[in-house]
Amino acid sequence: MADYHPRHRSIVDRFFFDWFSGETLGAVRLYFGIGLALYLASQYPQLLILDAFGPQFHYTIPIWYFHLLGIDHNIPWLNLPVMILMLAACLFFAFGKWTKPAIIVILITMFYLKGVRDSFTGDVHHREVPVFALLILFLFSKCNRVLGIDARRRGSQGIEDWEASWPLRAMQVWIAFFYFWALMAKLRVSGLTWFENGGRIQETLVARALRDGFTTNGEVANLSLAWELAQRPDLIFLCGAAVFIFELLIPLILFVKEWRWRLVLLIGATMFHISNFLLMNVQFYLYPLLFVVFFDMAKVHRALKAKLRLRAPASATAA
Amino acid sequence: MTKAKTKLFLIGYFLVLFGAVLLRIDYFPLSWVPMYGFREESEFVTVAVGDLKRRDLGFSAVRANGEKLFLSRRDLNMPPANFRRLYQERAFGEGPPQHARERAALIAFNRWWYETLIGEDPAKTADYPRDILNSVNRTLELGPDDPRRIVQLEAHLDFATFTRAHLDEGDLSNPKRERRIAIITPEGTSLVRQPIDNFKGAPIDG
Repeated sequence: MADYHPRHRSIVDRFFFDWFSGETLGAVRLYFGIGLALYLASQYPQLLILDAFGPQFHYTIPIWYFHLLGIDHNIPWLNLPVMILMLAACLFFAFGKWTKPAIIVILITMFYLKGVRDSFTGDVHHREVPVFALLILFLFSKCNRVLGIDARRRGSQGIEDWEASWPLRAMQVWIAFFYFWALMAKLRVSGLTWFENGGRIQETLVARALRDGFTTNGEVANLSLAWELAQRPDLIFLCGAAVFIFELLIPLILFVKEWRWRLVLLIGATMFHISNFLLMNVQFYLYPLLFVVFFDMAKVHRALKAKLRLRAPASATAA
Repeated sequence: MTKAKTKLFLIGYFLVLFGAVLLRIDYFPLSWVPMYGFREESEFVTVAVGDLKRRDLGFSAVRANGEKLFLSRRDLNMPPANFRRLYQERAFGEGPPQHARERAALIAFNRWWYETLIGEDPAKTADYPRDILNSVNRTLELGPDDPRRIVQLEAHLDFATFTRAHLDEGDLSNPKRERRIAIITPEGTSLVRQPIDNFKGAPIDG
């Protein structure tokens, strides 16, 4: 990696402070923010199909902070404005306008919509956990001082490389360990039985494939791919073994300097999430958009800008 | 922030987020486990076999005045996936995944803090079907003296039980199948079970 400049300093300093240039944090914020808008937009559309002024469902198991705040029912008309506010805040954050307040708005609206979605029946999903962890790092960083509307207007001098580097490295640590802890969790409560033969994966495939029943032709109504795979425990075991190895070794990505290797590892993670969606309808499929934190997006941004500039005169000539 | 303060911040950040992993805290935004990270090994695996048409009709309900009706997700104004969980899981006593795994294989310290600060195991103490009945009446704004209040809900659903040996062979063709009816009343929930032959299903009547 071109931006890696090891010096004779402590391991912590080298690990957190020496990886990226100041501009990179702003570029990551831009692409992360756009990805975040798409990711969060995919999480709550089911709340928008409700009758805005219909019955206000009283939650069966409110999430802990709703319970604490006394929020015990859904207010259906409120979901759309909150969603719009959240997506607008994502774009403000991405383009560096009122960046820090935008982060706080994203967090509050996400807590609200997640609370609504998960309180109907009490299934608390984990899809917002990474978003929270990463936004906290953006909040405490100087991401608002680079490559954004406010930074340009105020004539910001930019930030030092180490100030851009530590939040991005901390985000990488968190994402890598999100997978690693997932493996540890399985081993802690279930041991290797989670993986044995078809293991938990096969049981989930069967349950997911049958939850909507059969058609009149005797085919499963939905997730037929899951039903097919559930009948191949040998293949499922291989998938489980691949997950085991991936989750065990993914922290090594933190020490890989070559961006192509990181890309390969993250393509593996992306395939994992897309497979989970296609086979089990696990709604994590846009999560890989947040992997931009692993790359020097300043270079990507410059390359994209150069391409767009090249294209603009060409199209003007053609016109 | 100076570099020294940044290091302190990072120590605090990871102490909280990774500390939650060690302490097995699963309260958003902290978590230690993926949604499906828990598996209880058993000789049999029983799963619900849904029926889209029957689920679309919703719960068979009885009012205090004796009137019978169906309560669908549209009547309760809730998203389809949440209604599915209510109808196919909570009505039959199955809680959310985090309840099932919360107290599984805890080390002594984590058991101590759970029992001291959180209290009893929700998987053992919760009455999920009763929560549905309460929620339905509150959603429809039916008070305890209202003759239109719902006094009984029924969920009709098939279940298939696969043996471990069949699963290990990938043979899903012939599980034991049973039709269950969860009858939820303010006094409690009873379960009616009827064995059925055809795995791929006969339609479930209301």
